[in-house]
Amino acid sequence: MSATTIEPSAGVNARGYNVNDFLRPLRIFASLRLTVVCLGFGMLLIFLGTLAQVHLGIHAVQAQYFQSLLIFWSPPGADWKIPILPGGYLLGTILLVNLVAAHATRFQLSRKKIGIILLHFGVILLLIGQLLTGLFARETQMRIDEGQTLGYSEAPREVELAVIDVSDPKFDQVVAIPEATLARGGTIQNPTLPFTLKIRHFFPNSRLAMRAQAPQAPPSIATIGFGANVVATEIPRTVKDDERDLSAAFVEIDGVQGSLGTWLVSNAIAEPQSFTLDGHTYELIMRQRRFYKQFALTLEHFAHDRYAGTDIPKNFSSRVRLVDFERGENREVLISMNDPLRYRGYTFYQAGFDNNDSTTILQVVKNPAMLLPYIACGLVGLGLLIQFSMHLFGFVKKRNR
Amino acid sequence: MKPIFSVPNLLVRLPLFAAALFFCAGCGKSNDDKITVYRIPKETPPAASSEQVAMTSNAGAAPTVHWNAPEGWEEQPSTGFRKGSFLVHGADGKQADVSVISFPEQAGGLLANVNRWRDQLKLAPISNEAEVGTPLPVAGQDMFFVDLVSEQGLQPDGSKSRILGGIFPLPGETWFFKMMGPDQLVEAQRNAFRQFLESVHLVNAAPAAMTADAGAGKTNAPTPPPIEPAQGGPLQYQLPANWQEKPLSPMRLASFKAIAPNEKETDVSVVALPGMAGGDLANVNRWRGQVNLPPVDEDTLAKSAEHVKANGHDFLVVDLVSPAPIGDKAEKQRILAAILDENDRSWFIKMTGEDAAVASQKNAFADFLRSLKIP
Repeated sequence: MSATTIEPSAGVNARGYNVNDFLRPLRIFASLRLTVVCLGFGMLLIFLGTLAQVHLGIHAVQAQYFQSLLIFWSPPGADWKIPILPGGYLLGTILLVNLVAAHATRFQLSRKKIGIILLHFGVILLLIGQLLTGLFARETQMRIDEGQTLGYSEAPREVELAVIDVSDPKFDQVVAIPEATLARGGTIQNPTLPFTLKIRHFFPNSRLAMRAQAPQAPPSIATIGFGANVVATEIPRTVKDDERDLSAAFVEIDGVQGSLGTWLVSNAIAEPQSFTLDGHTYELIMRQRRFYKQFALTLEHFAHDRYAGTDIPKNFSSRVRLVDFERGENREVLISMNDPLRYRGYTFYQAGFDNNDSTTILQVVKNPAMLLPYIACGLVGLGLLIQFSMHLFGFVKKRNR
Repeated sequence: MKPIFSVPNLLVRLPLFAAALFFCAGCGKSNDDKITVYRIPKETPPAASSEQVAMTSNAGAAPTVHWNAPEGWEEQPSTGFRKGSFLVHGADGKQADVSVISFPEQAGGLLANVNRWRDQLKLAPISNEAEVGTPLPVAGQDMFFVDLVSEQGLQPDGSKSRILGGIFPLPGETWFFKMMGPDQLVEAQRNAFRQFLESVHLVNAAPAAMTADAGAGKTNAPTPPPIEPAQGGPLQYQLPANWQEKPLSPMRLASFKAIAPNEKETDVSVVALPGMAGGDLANVNRWRGQVNLPPVDEDTLAKSAEHVKANGHDFLVVDLVSPAPIGDKAEKQRILAAILDENDRSWFIKMTGEDAAVASQKNAFADFLRSLKIP
């Protein structure tokens, strides 16, 4: 049993039922051994996760080891898998429950314990904050050329299929189908589209080749657009940080009067394919997933300062104009390496540049739980300070006596 | 140790439990894989971005390339890379293939492309393109005309193959015109091909011209996708006076033009979609959007819509007028539409046109609904 066992007889309250019956299952979760086991697994997880980065890359490791409930292993060539280790989410949840349960069963509101309580509350916040970050934080990128205005950011590792009604001379009506829906396959319907889309195949990563260069390839299932002349082969997803998956999908469009054909779409091909239906012209394009903002950024100038007489970079900065009609904002902002722009819950960091210093790449981070770690660390620090000061003062008092 | 269980203590614990529960609930699925629908202003590509211009032959200022095909060439549907495609038939059943392709920028240069074609004829690469081609003035610019014949018999019947080609470098992109096929047939088509190359001209068209219905004749670049024939039983109806049938387009089960007393034409379409097709409200609001009216809710729709009952069908009829003329039109636009949910399908009968013209056809429209026999 855990170090501090509670007297069973103490739990009968005035109404005559035993509160212990409530709390007994909690006590298993309150065990200090569980804490130690979890922390041990946590260390093992970090060690194995670091090793696994060599083969899987940081993004796959984060998803498989840390943002998961269980870590699976399957022998090479087998199509079954077994769980071998608890994942980051499971460990974090158990630790959180453990800490909360320990307080629930042993809670004493006394002045002496205030430091410990603050400290633990800080740790609880830290755990919750990490979980919320894992679940809700989103990192995207904005690539803006000098003079260009952009109202959206793009997910570097996720694609979407956009069906765009371009008939209106002023507006485009976009139906954006995210990768997760494409990967599920099946038929996709949307009330704004007078047709259905059947995802016949989806390749998260693929190699495209002209049919002329692969004459022995089986005939394409694409009947229309460039897909008929292209051979698409599925290949494993890339694990390298400097590579990008080239996704591809075969999409069949069904109107009321039958199929209009099967298109091949891929983010490797920037040109949209269009078709006309019921007087409307639609464009079909696979692209990096877009997240539109309520505001737009225009890159006025990108500066890449070097130390005089050398090619050693000194500073990167982007002078952008922020325009937000909703809030009446129209101002110039300088984003540099350690000086991000924070606006409407988004943080824009200077992340890179391209095209001979005429394109800036901004990392766009939205994290609703951004403040929690700061608050948590403050609480932990305050708790420690109180706890140790009390010990110190008690000790000094005892010595003086 | 003093007893720790008392009601106040329990009260302190409850929020902790609640927090734990909330936290577990938070682990549920986020709405990450929802399909999103939005309207955005049209994008205008930036003037000097190489990435944006790449591959988009219809980007901004680039003039579009047009041509006229000689008599007897059979136009093929153009595919993504092919901006134009033709089959040329010889007297003995032989065929030659004509393709028009564009690539961004220099596309590797003249020599590399000439050698690419030579490779297709199993010829050794050369070091100077002037050995095999001559400049040909086209549309005030120089096109490079190439004539290549294989040394081996590459055709199924053992005869040689020939390529006639034109490489046309323009600012930002390079166009390739090519005829490939049996030596004799291609040789016989030499004049026709020259005539084809000389017909090439540049049109400073709006970008939309490339993507919209530009495939009407043999003169324009892309061809719209072939349309599958209609299926299901034919629709039966009685044509009101001054209504004329129009050719069907992909979604339409029937299509008419109604001529109003002021000689203005309105367009009538009958479309059926599987299931609820988004529901009455979504469709009415879509139409309201088309005439610049704000969307309404279910209640307002129920109050404002009319019902036409005929042949046991109950049509929901809406009549929408734009508050002001739309776009370059001089008059207000009006949509008169009926929705019928029946036989696992949603039927949409819609009349669009100018306000006065549609108004004059209201009775005819109701008569048409009454005469309609849904298969």
